[in-house]
Amino acid sequence: MKDLTVIREIDASARVAAEATVGPFCVIGPGVTIGPHTVLTRRVSVSGRTIIGSANIIEEGCVLGSSPQDLKYAGSSTMLIIGHRNRFGPRVTAHIGTEAGGGLTRIGNDNLLLDGCHIAHDCFVDDHTVLGREVLLAGHVLVQSGAVVSDLAGAHHFTTIGRYARVGPRTPVRRDVPPFTNFCGEDHEKLPPAVRGVHENGMRAAKLSPGEEAELRKALRELFEDETALQTKIEQLVNMGVEGEAAALCEFCQHSLQGVYGRYRELLRGQMPPEALRYLPPDLISLWRNKA
Amino acid sequence: MPEISRYAVVEKTAKLAADVRVGPFAYIGPQAVLGAGCVIENGATIVGQTTLGAKCHVFPMAVIGAVPGQAGQVGRCVLGEANSIREHVTLSGGLEAPTRIGNDNLIMIGCQIGPGASVGDHCIITNCTQIDGGATIEDYVGTSAFTFIAPGAKVGMYTYIAGYTGIEGQAPPYAMVQGYPARVRGVNSEKLRRCGFGDDDIRALKEAFRELFNGAGAQADPDVLRRMAGEASLNVHVRRLVEILQAGAGGRSA
Repeated sequence: MKDLTVIREIDASARVAAEATVGPFCVIGPGVTIGPHTVLTRRVSVSGRTIIGSANIIEEGCVLGSSPQDLKYAGSSTMLIIGHRNRFGPRVTAHIGTEAGGGLTRIGNDNLLLDGCHIAHDCFVDDHTVLGREVLLAGHVLVQSGAVVSDLAGAHHFTTIGRYARVGPRTPVRRDVPPFTNFCGEDHEKLPPAVRGVHENGMRAAKLSPGEEAELRKALRELFEDETALQTKIEQLVNMGVEGEAAALCEFCQHSLQGVYGRYRELLRGQMPPEALRYLPPDLISLWRNKA
Repeated sequence: MPEISRYAVVEKTAKLAADVRVGPFAYIGPQAVLGAGCVIENGATIVGQTTLGAKCHVFPMAVIGAVPGQAGQVGRCVLGEANSIREHVTLSGGLEAPTRIGNDNLIMIGCQIGPGASVGDHCIITNCTQIDGGATIEDYVGTSAFTFIAPGAKVGMYTYIAGYTGIEGQAPPYAMVQGYPARVRGVNSEKLRRCGFGDDDIRALKEAFRELFNGAGAQADPDVLRRMAGEASLNVHVRRLVEILQAGAGGRSA
């Protein structure tokens, strides 16, 4: 570990890689693992059973791994796992999971989380996402790879923000945001939150083949030109035999329709979400299974 | 003896109960009083004439009792028991009247509560809620993210304020309120059920709300209000609602 003279409090049983940098006024709790080349600049607090991978940059005042803001949480040993090469702006907070929600909060790789973002208990943020300033994810939210969430947007419990979708600034997300769409609006009669066109930057970033992109654009146009009779339109597209991203879009929308108030993950209430099964260490999975 | 980190600064005249825990880089000012079982986590700041009741948990980087923009002034802040003050919360100290927080509240990350504001008991104040100076939040109130409560505004008991809502004036009790300008959208029936209200009470409140706020939901219908006030056999909670709405008739209802 570099520079042993700085004032900081690292618990003796924390596992901090020799190549990691822990700046002044940082506090690292006993159950924490920090990978090589991760930089905790200053005043960062990491507690709980938290694993931070390699080459992350974590700025001033971030608080990672504290107990969930859930009144049902009673102190079980749930986890927060952060992957590699993420950048956290100042004052980002992320909490460990809850027992009822599967026991894992996970942030994947190569994400950019700007100032004051909050990742609540049992959220899953996949890879290459951008979360703007003060973006609030409530519990059990899934942000899929490549999604962009603008400043001051907030996501309701159990919502999913689809791949390469965009959420506009100050937008309340109360239902699932389909992949590759631009979802924006405010609580106002003139511009309620809704799908408003294609997220062009996302479309570029996904680097689809021209044929796949054309099919996806056609499907997006059919589904969201006006959002009536979505079920019928999904069935029509599926019967036409759409493939690739267009098929994935249909499946996403179908799931959302099955869910509660357009939120597919509501159906996972009280269950172990598939992401937790994929990323949790085996001992915790068996622990949760035995409790359930 | 309180368990104080070697890196914490606790002023000599601060009064700490025997089992208080203070984390690294926390600062406890000279006039602070911390009750039994309080946990002050790393980097939290408690200044001014601030009293915390028993079993309060203050999370990292929270600031309690500072007076905004008034260097050198000592504000007052009184917290009851078993409050959870989460990361990055700011509870300002009041100069004229103290800022009051009751018992058993959960104040989530990044909330800001202004000088002289008052929060009751058992409230759940969600992330980034802004409660301005002099505002009053009664018991069992819930807010959602980014709620804004204007200076001097009042939120009645058991009311839920939806995300991104702005409250100027008065929000009635038992209600669900949403939008800016805020509108009454219905009865907070789930919370009432959890708090032990019977089905009859909830049904009576729902009927009363439907009649009072039918339409835009911006303001209680004065004719219906007058008629209800004259009814002899009114449900006790509806009676209370009517009385509160009549008392606040001068201002906007939500």
